[in-house]
Amino acid sequence: MEGTKQFEELGITIDGKVEVEYKWAAGIAGSRFFEELRENARIMGTRCPQCERVLVPPRIFCEECFVDADEWVEVQNSGEILTYAESYFGLQGQRLDEPWYVGIVKLDGADGGLFHRLVPDQRPVEIGGRVEAVFADSRKGHILDIEHFRTLK
Amino acid sequence: MSATNGVRRVGVLSVGMMPFARALAEDTQELVYRVSKDALDRAGLRRDDVDAVVMGSAVDPFNGTNESDKFLVAGAGGVGKPYYRNATSGSTAVSTPSLAYEVVASGLADIVLCVCYEKMSDNENSQKVFNYVYDPGFVRPVGLNVPIQCGLEARAYLHRYGISEEEMAAVSVKNLGNAVVNPYAQRGREITVEEVLESPYISWPVKILDTSPVSDGARAAVFASESVIRDLDDDPVWVRGIGRGADSYWYMGRRNKDLGRLDYAYLGAKLAYEMAGIEKPAEEVHYAEPYDPFTYKEMQHIEALGLCEEGGAGRFVQEGKANRDGDLPVNSSGGLLGEGNPIGAGMSRFNWCWLQIKGQAGDCQVERDVDTAACTGWGGMYQYNATVVLGRDA
Repeated sequence: MEGTKQFEELGITIDGKVEVEYKWAAGIAGSRFFEELRENARIMGTRCPQCERVLVPPRIFCEECFVDADEWVEVQNSGEILTYAESYFGLQGQRLDEPWYVGIVKLDGADGGLFHRLVPDQRPVEIGGRVEAVFADSRKGHILDIEHFRTLK
Repeated sequence: MSATNGVRRVGVLSVGMMPFARALAEDTQELVYRVSKDALDRAGLRRDDVDAVVMGSAVDPFNGTNESDKFLVAGAGGVGKPYYRNATSGSTAVSTPSLAYEVVASGLADIVLCVCYEKMSDNENSQKVFNYVYDPGFVRPVGLNVPIQCGLEARAYLHRYGISEEEMAAVSVKNLGNAVVNPYAQRGREITVEEVLESPYISWPVKILDTSPVSDGARAAVFASESVIRDLDDDPVWVRGIGRGADSYWYMGRRNKDLGRLDYAYLGAKLAYEMAGIEKPAEEVHYAEPYDPFTYKEMQHIEALGLCEEGGAGRFVQEGKANRDGDLPVNSSGGLLGEGNPIGAGMSRFNWCWLQIKGQAGDCQVERDVDTAACTGWGGMYQYNATVVLGRDA
């Protein structure tokens, strides 16, 4: 069967690059969430009036009940690690000597939580472990206004 | 109400195959043409016989042009015909044949050519492409990528059911070994559990040898209405069931936040089995090609398909039940791990189910009789499932 030749053998490739800029709207819910992070170092969610779940990340609707969720509530800066990952690769695929950790944190007072960086502090990073948000000194209205979550005892 | 009410029976006349490899010489249009032509030739049909074309691919940025299918529709025989494009991330691989079924079942067409493709290696950094599948506000800046995504999910799965890395490794040993005799496979290799366990971690518990390769390739199949297929094939393979499930992108805020259990995959399987009238899949399904971009994904999908108990797929594989000569063989083609993983062209899972039922799987043919086979696709942010059940008349 033909066609298993590699393109290196074929000779001609057309080389190029795609670069495109964006300015994404953070959305109605996202704007409020990031504004609260920047101004007040608070993590906010929206409450569904029907099932009463507190949605974090916030959405203007409950995806289960499919009704507007426009009541804003503050949730705790602390929570529990649902799962986590360690990586020996940087985001550009380069190999790293020391791993870094990310995980899903279910926040106290919320039904949901955040995907964020985890830093071992008082305990190793583990499923079910307690963590708390560490805010950046200079905040810009961005998810990295939370620098990371550190582990608690 | 039966899911089959009001729709026509649909059979699959043929499949179109070509070897998967990294950096194929063909451009994508040429890949699509090769498998389309192969499928039509095997069915003894010409392009004129085709009423409509359904095509699927998952990740346009690999191609580097938007709506990459517009270059390819001619290669899929679509000129002057109704044409459909399908994309549901990785599950495109099985949701596209599912859509092809729907077009025939609805009565809109009698013969549909279904084609799936992906040419990943035109792109020079697949991980960079994958970094752009996450939302720009909450997730992407924190630094998610595919290895980490799998680490999060695999850790939750192992934690939930108490599964070992050895169980994962057994899947890789089976699938890479199975691919040795698959003439279309990119990575057939006899390996040992130790080799898998000693391969470098990409993110615990997922290691390099738990992971499918970057691949180029395409797959096709011809779908036909009952009246057409009865004239052309005296032992038709029918689409007996299709099912799908979706979940929210916001995996951290779902009602089920446990990434260890794929609710949407259980839903897809349930719907497909209900339509097929299958009540005991572990007995009534004789062969399966579950989506296995990573070893633990094959395990999760074996379980979601109900072929063993939840959390039991690793032992099921370790005990040899999923082997080519086992009671319920799984991915005798080598799956995505062994055959290669050109994402949309993971439709190969569907094609191998057809080949096994037809007894045309060559050296990959399993020992036991196969009248009924099931395949799955998986995609999005732990989000989408598509399931198809194929089978011959009892």
